[in-house]
Amino acid sequence: MAYITLDGVSKQYGSVWAVDRVNMAIDKQEFVSLLGPSGSGKTTLLRIIAGLETPTQGRVLIDGEDVTHLPPHRRGVAMVFQEFLLFPHRTVYENLAFPLRMLKLQKGEIEARVDWVLGILALRGLEKRYPNQLSGGQQQRVALGRGLVGRPKVLLLDEPLANLDRELRQEMEVEIRRHQTALGIPFIYVTHNQEEALSMSDRIAVVRGGRIEDFASRTDVYDRPKTAFIAQFVGRSNRFEGIVALAGEGIAVRGEGVLIETGPREGIADAAQVAAYVKNEKVRLRPAEPGAGAAANALPATVKHVILRGAYAEYVMSWAGGELVASRPRREAEFKEGAEVVGFWEKGDVDLFPAPGEMP
Amino acid sequence: MKGRAAPALFLGIPTVFLVALFVLPLLSMLVLSVWRTENYHIIRDFNLHNYYVLATEGAYMTFLVRSLTMATAVSVICTLIAWPVAYGIMLYGGRYKLLFTLAFAVPFLTGEVLRIIALQGLLGPVGLLNGVLMALGAAPLRVIMYTNVASAIGLVYLYLPIVVTVIYLSLLNFDQRLIDAATIFGASPARAFFEVTWPLNLFGTLIGFALCFIPCLSATLAPRFLGGPNGTLYGMAMAQQFGESGTWALGAAMGVVLFAVSVLLVVIVAKTLDLRRTGFTGFGRG
Repeated sequence: MAYITLDGVSKQYGSVWAVDRVNMAIDKQEFVSLLGPSGSGKTTLLRIIAGLETPTQGRVLIDGEDVTHLPPHRRGVAMVFQEFLLFPHRTVYENLAFPLRMLKLQKGEIEARVDWVLGILALRGLEKRYPNQLSGGQQQRVALGRGLVGRPKVLLLDEPLANLDRELRQEMEVEIRRHQTALGIPFIYVTHNQEEALSMSDRIAVVRGGRIEDFASRTDVYDRPKTAFIAQFVGRSNRFEGIVALAGEGIAVRGEGVLIETGPREGIADAAQVAAYVKNEKVRLRPAEPGAGAAANALPATVKHVILRGAYAEYVMSWAGGELVASRPRREAEFKEGAEVVGFWEKGDVDLFPAPGEMP
Repeated sequence: MKGRAAPALFLGIPTVFLVALFVLPLLSMLVLSVWRTENYHIIRDFNLHNYYVLATEGAYMTFLVRSLTMATAVSVICTLIAWPVAYGIMLYGGRYKLLFTLAFAVPFLTGEVLRIIALQGLLGPVGLLNGVLMALGAAPLRVIMYTNVASAIGLVYLYLPIVVTVIYLSLLNFDQRLIDAATIFGASPARAFFEVTWPLNLFGTLIGFALCFIPCLSATLAPRFLGGPNGTLYGMAMAQQFGESGTWALGAAMGVVLFAVSVLLVVIVAKTLDLRRTGFTGFGRG
C-alpha cells in the first residue's frame, strides 16, 4: 500500500483542466519530483495534496486516510514555498516554533525540537533575527526548518530553490536530500528545473498539460524517455526528423542529409514520419576525413562555437540541416572553432518517436 | 552637487511646510495661552490663569472626558465595522475592487456641514426615521434625538470611510499567502487570523483608528447639530472661546491641553507597540 495515493485527481478552472485525471502512488521513504514547464499544473497538484485546493474530481489519500475534503491544518503536511513566506513579524525562533505551537506541544519539547532544527540547518545564533534581517539562503533554511520541525507526514516543496543563486542551489540540493533520507518521510518536490529533479529524486513525474506524462525512476526518465516531450524537456538533445526507411532487424531513418540507424523499436511503422533525439553528451567527435562517404549515425559539421563548462566543453556546430551540439569531457581531443569534424553516436543512444508534427 | 540637492529638496520642502504651518501656529497658541483676553482685547502679561480655570472649573474636565469617551467609542465602532467591510472587498471585490475603494471617497465630495445637516434631518424629532416610526404608530426613538448617541452616529458616519480606506490599503499590502502558510502549519482559519492577519495589519488599523480618534477629539459640528443640550464636546467648547465668547486665550489654553493629550496618547501607543511585531520593515537590515 502506497503511503500517498492520488486517485483520478482532476482540477477544473473555468473550462480549463489544470490537473487532468492524475494517478500517483508514492512510498513512504520516497523523494518524488513533479517536473514540468510553467503552467503545466504541477503546483496545482501540489496544492491539492496540501489541501489549499480541492480537486474537482478524484481522491487524495495520505497514510491510508482519505484527506480529500480535510482542510490543510488537519492533514499533518508541511510545505516549503518558493517565496519562503516566513512570518515577517516573528523571529527565526518563533517561525520555527509555529508548527509546534499549533500541535500544542509542551514548552520544553518545543525548545528541544527548535534547537534540533537550528542545529541541523546551521541556523544557531540567528534565533532572534527577523526574516528581513536574513540573507536569501538563510531565509531558505528557515523555511525548510519550519517544514521539517513538526515532523510532517509529507513535506511539499514548491520550487524552493528558484530564488537562490546557482551555487547556493547546488549546496541546498544535497542538504535537502540528506534531510529527507534522515527523516524517512516522503518529499514531493515541484520544479521546472530538470537538474534539481535529477539530482535529488528517486522518481520523477513529468507533468505536461495537467497530466502525468511519465512517472518513473530518474534514470529511466533521463535515459529512456517515454515520450517525445520528455526527450525534448529532460536533458539537452539534438533532434532530427525523417522517414522510416526500413523496419525489420533494425530501423533506419532517412532525413534531410542524415541517416540514423537504431535497434528494433516497438510501435514504429515502415514509412512513418518520426523524430529522433540524440542527447548532447552522446554525440562524439572526430576530425573530418576528406573523401569519406556518408555513413549512418555520422554527421559532417563545422564547429561554430566552443563553450567551456568546467569539466565539459560544449561544441555548437552547423551542418547542412541546422545545428548540432555535442558536450564532451575536456580530457578528450579538443577542436577549435572553424574545425571540420564528424559528429557520431551509437545506435543505442537514439530515441525515436512517431508523429513529429505533434511537437510544438 | 546633485547628490546633495535631491535629499535637501525632498526633505527640506516638507520641513519648511511643517514649520510654517504647524510648528509656528502651535507656538503662537502656546504664547497666547499664557496671556489673557478682556473685552475682546488681548492683554500681554504672563499668567497661568487660563490653565487654572481649565483645571478648576468642572465643565472643562467633563467636556474633555466626554470627548475622550466619545472619540474612543466612535473609533472602536468604526474599526469594528471597517474591518469586515475592507476584508470583504479584498476577498470578494474581484475586478470591482478599485470601484469600491473609490466609492469610499464619494461622501467627501460633499461638505462636512452638509453631511451632518442631512443626518440631522434623518435622526431629528421630525426626521425621516422617527417620522416613519410615528407614522406607523410607534413611539419615536428618543435616544437619537439630540443626544450623545446621535453625535456618535454622526461621527461614525463622518469618519467610517477614512477608516475603511486605511484598513483596506493595509490589507491590500498584506500577503494573503501567509494565511496559506499558517494553515499548512496547523492553524485553523480563526487561529491564522489572530496569528498572522491581525498582527500584520495592526499598524494599518492603528493609523485608521488614529485618523478617526484625533478629529473626533476636537469635533465641533457633529455635537453642535446632533448632540443636544448635554452633548457639548471639548472641541465644540473650544471653538466657542474663539467665537461667541471672545476668550481667545482660554481657547488657546484648551488647544494646548488637547494637543498635549493627543501627544500623550501617541507616546503611550508607541511605547507599548513593537513595530517589528507588526511586520514593519522600515528599519532595513541590521
